Amino acid sequence: MSILKPKIICVTGGKGGTGKTLVAVNLATIFKNHGKKVLLIDGDVENPNTYLLLGAKLKSLANVEFFIPKINNEKCSMCGLCAENCLSHALLKVKDIPPIPMLNLCSGCKLCYKICPDNAIEKDSKIIGTLYESEKNEIKLMLGELKPSEARSAVIVKSLMQHLDRIIKNPNVMPDVVIIDTAPGAHCDVEELIQKADIVIPVTEPTRFGLLDLTRIIELITLLNKEYRAIVNRASLPGYKEEFSLELKRRDIEILGEIPLSQEVVESYCQGTPLMEDPSGIYTSSDAYHAFNQIYDNLLKWSDIQK
Amino acid sequence: MKKIIKIGILSGKGGVGKTSITASLGIIAQQDHEFKPALVDCDVDAPNLSILFPPRSPDKVDKKEITGTLKSTFIENACIKCRSCVEENYCEFDAISWNQVTDFPEIDYLACEGCGACKVLCPEHAFEINPVKSGEIISYVSKFDLALTYGKTILGSTTSGKLVSDVKEYIKNLESYSDLDLILIDGPPGIGCPVIATVSGLDYVIAVTEPTPSGLHDLKRAIEVIESFQIPFGIVINKADLQSPFQAQFKQFMLENNYVILGKINYSEDIPIAMSHAQPVVIENPKSEASRAIQIIFQNLKKNIS
Repeated sequence: MSILKPKIICVTGGKGGTGKTLVAVNLATIFKNHGKKVLLIDGDVENPNTYLLLGAKLKSLANVEFFIPKINNEKCSMCGLCAENCLSHALLKVKDIPPIPMLNLCSGCKLCYKICPDNAIEKDSKIIGTLYESEKNEIKLMLGELKPSEARSAVIVKSLMQHLDRIIKNPNVMPDVVIIDTAPGAHCDVEELIQKADIVIPVTEPTRFGLLDLTRIIELITLLNKEYRAIVNRASLPGYKEEFSLELKRRDIEILGEIPLSQEVVESYCQGTPLMEDPSGIYTSSDAYHAFNQIYDNLLKWSDIQK
Repeated sequence: MKKIIKIGILSGKGGVGKTSITASLGIIAQQDHEFKPALVDCDVDAPNLSILFPPRSPDKVDKKEITGTLKSTFIENACIKCRSCVEENYCEFDAISWNQVTDFPEIDYLACEGCGACKVLCPEHAFEINPVKSGEIISYVSKFDLALTYGKTILGSTTSGKLVSDVKEYIKNLESYSDLDLILIDGPPGIGCPVIATVSGLDYVIAVTEPTPSGLHDLKRAIEVIESFQIPFGIVINKADLQSPFQAQFKQFMLENNYVILGKINYSEDIPIAMSHAQPVVIENPKSEASRAIQIIFQNLKKNIS
């Protein structure tokens, strides 16, 4: 028996605002238009925007909780062992009183809870974010959202990936294609999502900033041993395009496709209906529409996704 | 001692123009004789300000390695293969697994938070916690005579937030930053750890947005973070004249909320063209509509921080 596994495509980009979400949402729509079961994952847990572009309503799936130590003052013998061993300095030991937890420093490692000889540290938790799910136009969506002023986005990403693991192990709900949208940057949250993918699509723009951030994200993708091809968004932006294309060539960066600057893209983006959904057929003759179809064709040729 | 005003440029959403605006504001502040400004780039994952502000003399660039991040190291000699580390879940971050090939525990470097739990809990002391190189801080006087300091993470080193704090700490002891009165800090996108590290201790925030659903959504989340630190802020609307079906809703939000609007910049090719020459738009094309808009933003900013 062959083990089926969905193809996982990670859309990322290094620089912010290059069009990652735009590409992820429209690729999901094209796959769906071709009869594929698509799961879209928004892994930009600091600012998840895919549902805005899809025009989808979110349904809460689970809260993401994070450990915090709670001191039982009656049991505490004030030995100071917990504070001594806390490398995050999240337990403040003042003479003759139980330790004071400094929650914004706590890494959640639970070492204090595990080593306290008096069992005086109890497990408490706080909600630092929420996972949501949704479905719109037959595209399944799952996303994580970090609560503002909480810092531990990685915990949300991890929880989101655990949910994804469950879904791709269950043959009843298993999608054909999973598209993961990432946060900007090249930090651990982005790294974790790229690691999950079969192929990676960095989205860039023909500017000096775009080039620098693209080379950085490619460094990371290469470090993780993944295959990638780039999409150049706002390809008709004046000024730097020629030099940009030469630089990509010089660095042997392969291009999956280009999307021109387009009023249709802006319009559909702001309306919350993906360009490639196009229910009334007003975009079919636009350059951007052709560009996305071209990208889809190139993607099929590049990957081994069946038509 | 003169008070240094620290202003952060943030947005929530990436790519709305933080760096372009920081660059031009830096130039304008320097031309304004009331201020002695300097620049800091806290977008340690994608520090781009240096493209517009290369060093005045390449041999006068200070680089400092940062080794703040802690990571666990496994010591094979000490291990007796009791498997307690994996069986008793020492690691809350799932960074320790049993490698079937080597028949020893293996540390997932990326997942490791350096918390020290494995070191303390292992009865054979087979784990050590050591600081590792997590990034570097680069500092120099740029070709426009403005000092620039920025941090750059090492890929796979995690802890961008820690490096942001290191950058902010570093400039406190710099001679080139000692007789200043205004520091403009280009921030990272998002609202997570590096943003929180950037916002902490600021005197004012410029929140950049654009009239799109995601621009507004992310701005609201950024404002929640800024307000949790009780820092005053003003909004800059970039690409303000975008032909977008969302404009009405966007304007409604701005009307209802009574936030300080520092100014609006209409979409203009002058900005990407200036950028393509690696110049802030107020240098490349000071008479352009975009440059005049940023001048107005600076004047409004002055009123709000004085």
